[in-house]
Amino acid sequence: MKILFGESSLARKSSSKVQLVRLLLTLVAVTVLSACATYAPGPTGPQDREVEARVREPARQDSEGVQVFPLQNPAVKELLADAGGAEQTGDYGQAATYLERALRIQPRDPEILQSMAEVQLQMQDYEQALNFASRSYDIGPRVGEICSRNWRTISVSREHLGDHPGSLEAEKKATVCMNTKPRGL
Amino acid sequence: MSKRKKKTTARRKKTNKPQSRGWMRKIWRLGLLLAGVFLGLMLPWVIYLNYQVTTEFEGRKWDLPSRVYARALDIYPTAAMTRADLELELKAAGYRSSKQASRPGLYRVSGNAVDIYRRPFRFHDGAEDSRKFQVRISAGRVSAVSGLPGGRSLDLVRLEPAEIASIYPLQKEDRTLIRIEQVPALLVMGLQAVEDRNFKHHPGVDLRGILRAALANLKAGKAVQGGSTLTQQLVKNYFLTDDRTLARKFNEAIMALLLEAHYGKPEILEAYLNEVFLGQQGAYAVHGFGQASLFYFDQPLERLEPNQIALLIGLVKGASYYNPRRHPERARARRNQVLAAFAETGLLTQAEAREAAAMPLGVTDKPRTRGTRYHAFVDLVRRQLAQVYQEDDLRTEGLRIFTTLAPSVQEKAQAAVSDGLTQLEKRGLSPSLQAAMVIADVATGEVQGLVGDRNPNRAGFNRAIHARRQIGSVIKPLIYLLALEHTQDYSLVTRIEDEPLSLQQPDGSAWSPSNYDNTSHGEVTLLEALTRSYNQATVRLGLNIGVKHLVNRIEQLGVQAEVDPVPSIFLGAVELTPLEVTQIYQSIAAGGFSVPLRSVIAVHTADGKELVRYPLRMLPQPNREAIAVLNYALTQVVEQGTAKALPDLLGQAGTIAGKTGTTNDRRDSWFVGYTRNQVAVSWVGEDDNRPARVTGSNAAMRLWAGLFRQLPIESVDLRMPDGAYWLWVDRNSGLLTLEDCEGAVQIPFVDGSGPALSTTCMSAREDDEDSFWRKLLGKKKQ
Repeated sequence: MKILFGESSLARKSSSKVQLVRLLLTLVAVTVLSACATYAPGPTGPQDREVEARVREPARQDSEGVQVFPLQNPAVKELLADAGGAEQTGDYGQAATYLERALRIQPRDPEILQSMAEVQLQMQDYEQALNFASRSYDIGPRVGEICSRNWRTISVSREHLGDHPGSLEAEKKATVCMNTKPRGL
Repeated sequence: MSKRKKKTTARRKKTNKPQSRGWMRKIWRLGLLLAGVFLGLMLPWVIYLNYQVTTEFEGRKWDLPSRVYARALDIYPTAAMTRADLELELKAAGYRSSKQASRPGLYRVSGNAVDIYRRPFRFHDGAEDSRKFQVRISAGRVSAVSGLPGGRSLDLVRLEPAEIASIYPLQKEDRTLIRIEQVPALLVMGLQAVEDRNFKHHPGVDLRGILRAALANLKAGKAVQGGSTLTQQLVKNYFLTDDRTLARKFNEAIMALLLEAHYGKPEILEAYLNEVFLGQQGAYAVHGFGQASLFYFDQPLERLEPNQIALLIGLVKGASYYNPRRHPERARARRNQVLAAFAETGLLTQAEAREAAAMPLGVTDKPRTRGTRYHAFVDLVRRQLAQVYQEDDLRTEGLRIFTTLAPSVQEKAQAAVSDGLTQLEKRGLSPSLQAAMVIADVATGEVQGLVGDRNPNRAGFNRAIHARRQIGSVIKPLIYLLALEHTQDYSLVTRIEDEPLSLQQPDGSAWSPSNYDNTSHGEVTLLEALTRSYNQATVRLGLNIGVKHLVNRIEQLGVQAEVDPVPSIFLGAVELTPLEVTQIYQSIAAGGFSVPLRSVIAVHTADGKELVRYPLRMLPQPNREAIAVLNYALTQVVEQGTAKALPDLLGQAGTIAGKTGTTNDRRDSWFVGYTRNQVAVSWVGEDDNRPARVTGSNAAMRLWAGLFRQLPIESVDLRMPDGAYWLWVDRNSGLLTLEDCEGAVQIPFVDGSGPALSTTCMSAREDDEDSFWRKLLGKKKQ
């Protein structure tokens, strides 16, 4: 069954005043959003190469043969895949939204937190990238590939934030992810 | 006008001569005269009516209220959820239990399986089609989700969120305005089928309809049928009067023609749908289908079933005569007449109409008190949005606001507060006690529920957000946190004095804090002093730390408080709201990863564009290793301290961290507690701040337990981050020891704060073996 009347009445009723308010609202929103984050241009931007070249690839190399993966909930897996897809197309905001949904399901999953850190890195929000990677490390395995990605993200973020000694130190920590026993319980 | 009359009378006199062709001429002249009078009188009248009706119509062009949605429920295997929870969420989202989940909006329960036919919905992160699936639940968890038909297993589905509120244009609080696009097609078509079949074609007045009605009325010998078009009915509603005179009818007809000349059919129909009188709630008239839908069914219009739509259309004919709550039989007969008209015009098949006619009326027992369902939470939403929007925009722009409210958690919190206070009354406490509760997700800071009054339906003073009360011992953990950050001086096993002390206040008076049990306990460890909430030990510790540091730390944890930097602050002489206390403890529960508490995730325009998003952002605290150690200490408050009655109240296992709080003269009762994933704060006291005979554990903790009794409890994670670790120490001496030595307990320490000395038991062993601990800590054997 079709609805009798379509879009026309909405259009007709939108007076110019309403339009103006909408425009202003949008402007406010855009300003607020742009204050939060600056988006990288797309999948071929320099930040993407950075996350691949300086975080993921070396971590993969580090961890060849050593894998510590927490068991993953299929729902989370699906959302991580969706986030990966959004990231591929350069839609980092959407990727972050998927990851947030995954975090609601499994708030203490180091893989989700690290993925979020990498998305933040690509959005050039280095502070948040640093925070998510630190959180991932704190509650993660502290060994293996994730650990390496944690420290490499921390290293790159610190570098962008101007903390060069901190960046070097983090880089070093990344290389020992493979041969240090975790401390604590 | 009178001039013209005079003129015509004069002419009449002049022509008043007998003439042969006079008759024809007379008739002609009389005709002209009448036409002249008619035009002369009518034109201004029509202009007047035109002015009236267009002013009315334009004046009521509707601003669109914003719609507020709860969070969308994710359903996936392993999700913690009982069948009752799921049903509660379904009902909140306007689902109806049925024999078959045959249409979107219906669900069916059979045993452990719930079949759900989800409606299509534009979520904040994308649109999803309607979908049918089955959820299996066992032992408090979702065991399987599968698509229907076929049974292919699904990893993740979600329900569309409950619509929890509309933020209305001012002055129009009793309206729930709708746009024609939102109106179910069946209502748009059905209304025409029943009230005005020729609506699409007539110019405002339907002559055929009038003739048909007149004929029917003649036959019956009285007025049984009205020939009014929807446009005429709209006009009648504008100038509500029961006056049935011919003149009134005439005016209505003229105004209907005028309306049609000015406006399009969709606009007229939209105005009608928002205007027509459909019921009475106390002193307030229920106007419009949007409001009527809430009034009778407690659901937004889009979520109504055919039988419910038919009932509303039936009410157009006489809202009080067919009032379904007062006269259910009349209402049912009328509804079924309408359903028959639906079938007759092909809007429903005969079978569908029969099925709908067999349904119960489906109206709620009584209308919800005016206002929104979860207005305490909606207050918080308004507050968060006020940072970005003018209140007027919220009221007029038709925004879609996606929030974090979890309806099942909110309902449980409301019940915990109301039932909890009733229980306290039975235990001899005052019936005028008030309470507030806030519950949030630890990791995301999303507020899942908020209660601001013992009666959750009462709008008014929202204590969760606005009640500033002294927080008592709830502040103590922050003092111990500051101590633990001084690794040179303090660890949980460091001994401090719990002895009487006297301090001079800034105003010159002396202050001698005493303990709750009026006893001083001598030398105690930090852990004991915190878990048993000793005042004298805490004030001594606080004096060593310094008032300024404490004030700074409160700010660092995300709360701007006006604090007098006096020593009584160490015992909680600082006024905070339950929401602020929740913010502080979110930071601690999340291991130092503070997240500003959020109630809104995103705001979209009416047509689905994202205006603003509130993404998850973390603000890490310094010295997170000390926070981790504090987390352990707070689990000991529940294990062996002032909250040790909690596990029994909960009746379920799991490691919980918490802290009780009581203020001077037992005016305020606080309990803060958290599990791995949820942090909640409850407060109990009197509004006028008089002594209430409450303590943290006798009142607020009971309310808290009442909530968590109904929630799954996941143990607090006590794994230490880098920079803190667990050691075996001797329970009495606090010296390093080995796991199998007598009196050994495991305690976490911030790096550098571990005990330097070891027990004789440990030393004896170390003579024989190369100690792991010695290697680890690089310490020499004593």
